[in-house]
Amino acid sequence: MASTGIESAERRFWRALWDRLRVPTWVSYALLAVTVAVNASLQPFFFTLYNIQSNLNTFVPLVAAAVGQTLVILGGGIDLSLGAIITLVDVVVVTLMEGSMERVPMALLAGLAVGGAAGLINGLLVAYVRLQPIVATFATSFVWSGLALWVMPRPGGAVPRAFYRGYRDVFLGVPVAAWIILGIILLWLIIKRHRITRYILAVGGDERAAYASGVPVTKAKVMSYLLGGLFAGLAGLGIVANTASGDPYVGGPITLQSITAVVIGGTRLSGGAGGAGGSIAGAMILSLIGNIVFFANVGSHYQELINGAIVVLALALAGIPALRRRSA
Amino acid sequence: MAYLSMSGVHKRFGGVVALNGAHLAAEKGEVHALLGANGSGKSTLSKVLTGVVAPDQGRIEIDGREVRISGPEDARRYRIAAVYQELSLIPQLTGMENILLAYEPTRALGFIDRRTLEQSVLEVAARFEQALGRRIDLHRPVESLSPGDQQLIEAYKAVARKPEILILDEATASLRQAEVEALFQVVRELRDAGVLIIFISHRLHEVFDLCDRATVLRNGQTVGTVNLAEVTERDLVDMMVGRGVVTDVRQEAATPPRDEVVLRVKGLTGPRLHGVSFELRAGEVLGLGGLQGQGQSELLRALFGAEPVTGGEIEVAGRRVTLRRPQDAMRHGLALVPGNRAREGLMLGRPILENLTIASMRRRQTGPGFLSPRREREAAQGAVRSLEIKVGDLSDAASTLSGGNQQKVVVGKWLLNRPRIILMDDPTKGVDVGAKGELYKIIRQLTQEGVSVILNSSENMELLGLSHRVLVMYEGTIVDVLEGEDLNENRLVASAMRVAQPA
Repeated sequence: MASTGIESAERRFWRALWDRLRVPTWVSYALLAVTVAVNASLQPFFFTLYNIQSNLNTFVPLVAAAVGQTLVILGGGIDLSLGAIITLVDVVVVTLMEGSMERVPMALLAGLAVGGAAGLINGLLVAYVRLQPIVATFATSFVWSGLALWVMPRPGGAVPRAFYRGYRDVFLGVPVAAWIILGIILLWLIIKRHRITRYILAVGGDERAAYASGVPVTKAKVMSYLLGGLFAGLAGLGIVANTASGDPYVGGPITLQSITAVVIGGTRLSGGAGGAGGSIAGAMILSLIGNIVFFANVGSHYQELINGAIVVLALALAGIPALRRRSA
Repeated sequence: MAYLSMSGVHKRFGGVVALNGAHLAAEKGEVHALLGANGSGKSTLSKVLTGVVAPDQGRIEIDGREVRISGPEDARRYRIAAVYQELSLIPQLTGMENILLAYEPTRALGFIDRRTLEQSVLEVAARFEQALGRRIDLHRPVESLSPGDQQLIEAYKAVARKPEILILDEATASLRQAEVEALFQVVRELRDAGVLIIFISHRLHEVFDLCDRATVLRNGQTVGTVNLAEVTERDLVDMMVGRGVVTDVRQEAATPPRDEVVLRVKGLTGPRLHGVSFELRAGEVLGLGGLQGQGQSELLRALFGAEPVTGGEIEVAGRRVTLRRPQDAMRHGLALVPGNRAREGLMLGRPILENLTIASMRRRQTGPGFLSPRREREAAQGAVRSLEIKVGDLSDAASTLSGGNQQKVVVGKWLLNRPRIILMDDPTKGVDVGAKGELYKIIRQLTQEGVSVILNSSENMELLGLSHRVLVMYEGTIVDVLEGEDLNENRLVASAMRVAQPA
């Protein structure tokens, strides 16, 4: 294990406190609060049920994708095919639904299965065939995209109205989308307590030390991608519910957005440290930035530029804790 | 019949033979030391036992049954645990998370049983804390702990796995006295409970304090096993080196160094150096002796500006200098052939030509920042000729060369910069016999031309054969200076291990 060795005891203590309090994660929560405040100030009727609901509806896919990407990155890898998996799941689910409510449960399960299978294949390529994660998942992204186009060459498909309406409904006074996001958070908290997550963290932190300690390295890596794929499946279901149609091009931007969300959330890209809590906040921040740009009446030519600039700002702010670590 | 029996173990790493038919027999409920000089094979033997190294030949029996150990899973099955100096902790995880890593108690479906985990870990910690007199915070990421505490956590980790065979390989290196005592107390408890502990260390006083018996290795073979109550430190040193043999392998016609002092170091201090002082004369080969990791590499790197220095003075040719970066050192005529050839000596993917010329480009530039391809090529060819480097084409990648030739390229690179002092950190490690001899020739030739060499070597015979004087280092200071008739292996090893000399 490489330890800096030249650090004074005092420095070490402060750094430990910083890490233990999970400062990077709290920074992302603070950023989220700031983003909400800015958005609220720019957008009239921000705190109405309708608006909150429509925001949450759009959050769901990216939140799920961010959690999936977090697991892969924690294990020391990365999944550049996440968006493509989401696309594939989207078209498969919509195709299977055929506009009928009876077929919905089957279609949803099939979607998750597709996500899991894609994740599994990514994991096998990285862990057994030993391909570099960036290379492997970049390649598979074309495979999933290609399959999506084959399943549904043009956007369309029929999603049953009841399903679409149900997603936009309110349950016990709380929007359905909010329940779903709560569910995702709960899933993450459960996964955190499982042995496999500790193994994933160990492998991402120091693969050699993990191997020497008896951690099943290969299995941990495969599982991180498999779980990533399952969450991508969940994200795909969210897209179906949100857009009520199939679109073989829908997942494109989501991959990089999921990685951005993870970074804003404070998880180290090198792996081994961080958590999905920050990533979920990061996902929401990214979505809200889009709103902010829109409501700030920035000319449509500049929207993408401003959006990008704000994202860079968010990344920089989120990255300050890491800077302090490096100078130690 | 011994509880643990390793016999006829052979292991070769490339051209180097680490184990040549070594054997070891140890019993349950004993602390058995494994001793030997640098390169004797003791670390390799322990790694064979933990499955980190696969032997070419050899038989391991535990409790009468033959066992195959091909990886950490097998070591786990046979309840063998080890504490190495190179830690196996995950830096950002806490002590609590590291200690029972991969051995976590789980509830149904694989969820970690946090309560039982904490209980088990605290039990192990308590055993040490008693003797230690303090607690280590197990809820901090281990990377935030001191190196000594990290080493202790590594020990907690091994003990928590309830081993039947526990190996401690140089586990006390970063521990202070009190911490060593705490560790030993736990070891004694384990021994009394029937565990076999294999203790590898260079600190003979610790060996006598803790161990019951000792097996000595030399040149990859077992010299013998002794009962520590019946021998002295001198006896052990003799076994490690060869009974009372005074070996004097200095080559005839070694040119004595000139009188001019080219380097004067006073009280050099840094994180791993504590007040090093010496003088180096022109044309002298100054060897750095002592056990590995006592500050030799750090001294060389500090002299090259590659390691932080917090105190002391360095004078090159009578002028006081501050060496904050390698470029400063280069300007004052110093060169470093680093210990990690692949990572720090060469750009493996680049052509041999570039590797040879890169450190001296400024000398040959034709205009501000411009190079002449012809001049570069001629310089490289000159180096290849004078050092007899076997290359196919100068534009081949450096990675295509053999270890020995790669090392010659590193040396050649520096020679093209006409250094006054060449610092060499274990230059013949991983180099075949033929190239070794050629490197020795090059070193001797350099000294004849008045160039000085400071040489760190893990091979005692090489160090003794090349050096005019040897500075023996221990824990970052110079503890002995060997020259003249003191320049022999027996003296070297004894000084390295701080064994008292006979009157």
